Order: sequence, then structure tokens, then C-alpha cells
Amino acid sequence: MQVTFSIQRYDSSKDKKPYRQEFKLDVEPTDRILDCLDRIKWDFEGSLTYRRSCSHGICGSDAININGKNMLACQVLIQDIKKKRIKIDPIPGMPIIKDLVVDTTDFFAKYEVVKPYLIAKNPPPKERFQSVADRALIDEAVNCILCGACTSSCPSMWGNPNYLGPAAMLKAYRFAFDSRDEAPAEHLEAIDTSDGVWRCHTIFNCVEACPKEINLTWHISQLKKKMVEREL
Amino acid sequence: MNFYQSGWTKVLTTYHRFAGSWAWIFHRISGLALTAYIFMHIIALSNLQKHKIDGGKAFNEEMALFSSPFFLVIEWLLFAFVLYHTLNGIRIVLVDFANGARYHKQLHYAVVTIGVIAFIAMGYVIFSHQVNKTVAMLF
Repeated sequence: MQVTFSIQRYDSSKDKKPYRQEFKLDVEPTDRILDCLDRIKWDFEGSLTYRRSCSHGICGSDAININGKNMLACQVLIQDIKKKRIKIDPIPGMPIIKDLVVDTTDFFAKYEVVKPYLIAKNPPPKERFQSVADRALIDEAVNCILCGACTSSCPSMWGNPNYLGPAAMLKAYRFAFDSRDEAPAEHLEAIDTSDGVWRCHTIFNCVEACPKEINLTWHISQLKKKMVEREL
Repeated sequence: MNFYQSGWTKVLTTYHRFAGSWAWIFHRISGLALTAYIFMHIIALSNLQKHKIDGGKAFNEEMALFSSPFFLVIEWLLFAFVLYHTLNGIRIVLVDFANGARYHKQLHYAVVTIGVIAFIAMGYVIFSHQVNKTVAMLF
């Protein structure tokens, strides 16, 4: 079947504004969007630029906006899109460097704010034991691959660039609710601000965007509950 | 080097809208409408102060205006905004402080269903008197 790809092009070194370019491809319904981008780059337009690394939904580098929704190009098949015309844009809310490559400096700066690491003051006697029930609390949160699809889909983030974003919030949950972490308050302190957890207006765009099917808003709601419990 | 970034209005209008985004957009619109309404309400009430000097004339005039069919429809719409803002407010509380985030779509559909039923019921309450009067006049 033939599918038209309308791709947003932009080169920060020479273009003032992005423009669109169309490519017609004969594709199989089981082709991934990433395969199609590869074919466009290899056969038609060598200057088309996008990020990809593992191409198996693990590295999280190829988050793009397909027909207005953020997804991973390597995880979505042509048959999932159900349209003959596929619009491809870089993920919104982040500065574009070239074509589909966005500047994630700010995204990772916000990620570091929540101290995304296990805080342990003392070395473990042998190992840091964790019960099955304790581990179950963070089962979903550890699946995050930091692709940025959620933070970039968040209307709160578009409106307020200082908002830390769902990805950073999920990471705060992942360590604040980890039974092995010795200073959960340090993670919570970082997000108990008006640009932190309280900026989430439960719009659920992040949940729709997440390629790992993590319910980010649920995790943010757990953090909100924890904040309230702390005050009581 | 200057990188290009789309403005939030462009992103907001082009990004796909899911059930949750619609719930948020309607919540914002109804919130703004209710804020605008409360100012109009205060102005309308302050005009009633005149009844102290004109023996109820201002009050009767204003009540006659508000029971005209145009204002009945406006009142019905006002009820729709209050209704949506209330029901979705309950949904947001359930999402934030109960386990609602796991069932947010079902909650949204419940809000819409209860809202539509209550809206139609209120329409009956507001207009049945008027409709009955018209029907009685015709036959």
C-alpha cells in the first residue's frame, strides 16, 4: 500500500522557520514508522535527521510526534496509524535543532532536580534487601526509558516552561517510594513547589503518550497524597 | 545558535486531544465562564438596591427581564457550566486523592452521562411551565 509522509523539516543553521516535505512510499502494514524514516533517509533524502539508537523501544531516543500524538517511531506500525497520510513532527514543547531532533538539555536539567538516584548514607551489610511487596510499589515506575514523550505532551509544560514535567515526577516517585532509599524527603522536597507536583492538572496527555504504558498521572497523584500526609 | 520553538498556542491547537484533554479544556472554559458570571451577578444584585427608594419597581423590572425566554436559555447554559465544573471537580478530587487516575476515562464518561441527564432534567424544570402555558393557549 502507498502512504504519504508529511515530515516537518528545519535546519537551525540556515532556516528561519520549519517547512514541510512530502514523501510517497510503498509500505507493508507491518512496517514500523522508523523503517519508513530509514527508507526515506537512505533512498530519497539523505539530509533528513532523526535520533535512533537501539530501534527496539529500549533506548528512548526516537520519540516523535505522529499525527499529533507523541510515540516511539520504533514501536508503532503503519497498521496502527490507520491513515494513508502520516504527519511526522518533532516532539512539541522543546527547541528544534534539526528536523526531528530536539534539544533535550532542559528536559535532563529538570530530571536532575529531583535527585534521580538512590540516596543511601551507609554501605549495605551484604545487600539492600527489598520485599516483593515493596518492590511492587515501583514496578511500573522503573519501566521509564526517558524518551521525553510524556513531558513534551504536557499542556502544563507548554504553558509554563519551568514545570518539571511528568518524567521528572515519575523519577521522584521511583526513588521516594523505594524502600531502600534512606532520604525520600529529599526527592519530595524538590517537587513540593508550584512548578513541581502541584502544576499537574491531571490532563492525562502523558499517560496517552507513554510508550511503556506507565500511568504517570497515577504516580503523580500518589506523590500529591504523600505531600498532604506530610503536612497532617 | 537559535533553535526554533513553536509557541504554546500552536502546540495546543495541533496536538491530538484525548478524553482527559477535553475534560481539562471544558473545566477551564466553564471556570472562566463562572468567573465572568459572578461579576454580572454582583452588578445585577447591586441594581436591586434601588428597591429601597422606588418601592419594588426595579426588582419587578429585573425579574421580568430574567423570566424572558432568552434569559431562561442563558440560565440553562449557566446551569450547564455549574454542573460540568462541579462534576468534573469531583472527578479531579477522585483522581488526585483516591485511585481515580486508574479509571479516569470511565470517570469522564460518568461525568458526561450524569451531566447530560441532569441538563435535560433541568431543561424540563425551566421550560415545562412556559411550554404548558403555550400549549394551553393553542388548544
